[in-house]
Amino acid sequence: MNESEFKEKWESDKPVYRAWGEYVVNTITQDLEGRGKNLNEFLKTPAKYRLKDDGSLVDKAFYRPNKKYSDPYNQIEDKVGARFIVLLLDDIKEICDVIEKSPAWSFDACKHFDEDKEKDPLLFTYQSVHYILKPKKEIVVQDITIPESISCEVQIRTLLQHAHAELTHDAIYKAKRTVQPKVHRTVAKSMALIETTDDFFTSVTQQLNSGPLEEHGVIERLDGLYLNVTGIKSHTQKSSIVIWDVFEQCIDENLVDNIQSQLINSKYDFLSETIKKRYTENAFYQQSTVLFLYWMLERKKQRLLSNWPFQHELLEPLAVDLGVSTWAD
Amino acid sequence: MQLLNLNIDRIIIHQVYRRDQDGNKVTPTQSHEYTNFDQSAMEAFKTRVKDALGDGSKAVQMEIVNQESNDLPTLINQMIVQEDDTFPASSYDIAKKLTDAQQTKSIPGGIVVVFSGSQGHPAKKFLGIIKAEVHSGYEKEVDKKTNEISLKFVEEILLTPGTRLYKTAGFFEKANYDEHSSDLNDKWTVMVSDYQINKADGKAAAQYFYSDFLGCGYPQTSARTTKQFHESTSLFIDKLNVPAPEKSNLLNALTTYLKVDTSSTISASEFASKYFDDIDTQDAYTSHMKDSGLPDNAFTKDIEHIESKLQFRKVNFGGNVKITAPSETFKDLITIETIEGDLDESGTPAEWTKIIIKNRITKQE
Repeated sequence: MNESEFKEKWESDKPVYRAWGEYVVNTITQDLEGRGKNLNEFLKTPAKYRLKDDGSLVDKAFYRPNKKYSDPYNQIEDKVGARFIVLLLDDIKEICDVIEKSPAWSFDACKHFDEDKEKDPLLFTYQSVHYILKPKKEIVVQDITIPESISCEVQIRTLLQHAHAELTHDAIYKAKRTVQPKVHRTVAKSMALIETTDDFFTSVTQQLNSGPLEEHGVIERLDGLYLNVTGIKSHTQKSSIVIWDVFEQCIDENLVDNIQSQLINSKYDFLSETIKKRYTENAFYQQSTVLFLYWMLERKKQRLLSNWPFQHELLEPLAVDLGVSTWAD
Repeated sequence: MQLLNLNIDRIIIHQVYRRDQDGNKVTPTQSHEYTNFDQSAMEAFKTRVKDALGDGSKAVQMEIVNQESNDLPTLINQMIVQEDDTFPASSYDIAKKLTDAQQTKSIPGGIVVVFSGSQGHPAKKFLGIIKAEVHSGYEKEVDKKTNEISLKFVEEILLTPGTRLYKTAGFFEKANYDEHSSDLNDKWTVMVSDYQINKADGKAAAQYFYSDFLGCGYPQTSARTTKQFHESTSLFIDKLNVPAPEKSNLLNALTTYLKVDTSSTISASEFASKYFDDIDTQDAYTSHMKDSGLPDNAFTKDIEHIESKLQFRKVNFGGNVKITAPSETFKDLITIETIEGDLDESGTPAEWTKIIIKNRITKQE
């Protein structure tokens, strides 16, 4: 295939590649939303697909000095690409999982920075995760037939990795003059720093999300119990976080079981109605934490009263529900 | 008692007065209309009720003694099923009965709140009576223009938080009862909250309310409950993870609380707050007492069944060594301390006890 045949084929194939790029981006974002991710927060730039620019495609196919393709049209797999930028290394894992579990395509995990680190432990350079995705079998999307041979390259990076890639891609590869070793060294130093910072970010997030509350899955289990009791989904708010913080010492593996066995008694059946009736009166009734507070009133009243972080009046309606005396004179 | 799912549907208020200069009764003032509280006033009223009679309160259970046709318990038994048009008039009979019971000039007047509703699940009926003494206070006033704060004197204020200035009684229909029984105690649980009952030697001062007015008396089960209180508390102290000398102090405290303290009522929450320093231990103790089946509020003290037990404190040691002392003097005459004894083969010291008896030996065998 000569250069003009190449260009002609590319021109006629563009709609197919566009359709495949769009399909890949839509499938991944929908799966992420299905896992409860808010895309506006989770993705640091909106997910888009992009066709390779004509000039650089031809350049790559015919004019790259150190790489010769025998069948450039099919061997160049990034004619359409999509990029996902996230904050944390753990977020990358989540997207990889989405891609690897999807039945829509076959994937080739062609680059992963963790493997690169194993291979070249002394090298600090461009880090990213790349996948080449091809339809498992021919599919039709919006009247366009996408054959199995069509590929799309997906890149996944942290914000910091992305910053490094932007710098090296724009400033180094496209540099108008020979890049001095000193510049290469500085870029490598910044990559080392980025890798360190990404590790710190991960460890900070893990520390923020570890404690008895997370360890025992208290909020999730209590949300389930709340849904069971009231038929309403719990909306955990800042006020609950303050409460869990103050009463962390009361959290152990048995907590949710204890709360549940208290509520199983039929004399508490009325609480379902009470919570619904008072739902708009007081924010605690909208959160599964209300069940914890009921339990505290019954089993650990003095601790509850002595560490209560809000004004006393906010606790009173709950004490009225259970008929528990909170006055000490 | 636990006032779950408390719901109040009728409230009516009358006024009673102190006897006049010559000791004659003053006819109470009657209301004919129900009081309608708005939502927040009702919420506050429920708070007063549960603070006075609810779980962890100082209310004590009483037994119905007077069951004749013109006695208050009989009146209440009839009122609970009365329609809204006859209930107000009957409630005035309650105010008249209170006036009759207030036989001395020293007893102040006040308002009588009669209210009915339901509690529990499934819901059971109840009727409550509050006698609230009127006192004076101040109301905050803010000048709209200058934002200056001043206080306006208010001569009559009622039902402020805290249970000292009102007496509350609740007649609660039991969950299951024999409808053919002629004993009202089978149908009703009576709870009475009266600051004077809990006070040292307060029985006499409180008598006009719980006995002359309500027609109730201290339950016959008090001695059994007191014994159970003693046993369950001893068990809790024994299992506490604290050094032996501290356990000894707590057992001394238990004896003092039951034997020396002159209050006529006792409660787990009172014992907890008096003698356990640590809040979590207080909670663990009250939970333990609840689980042992003891009342979750106060109850009247009767040490009949444990008198001999309370007489002496006994401490047993390994090697069949025992010391015994009168419980009143144990605390003052004996100090117990755990010390480290000889080292065993592994180098850990044995646990020994050092006892000081602050007196000389009088006899040896």
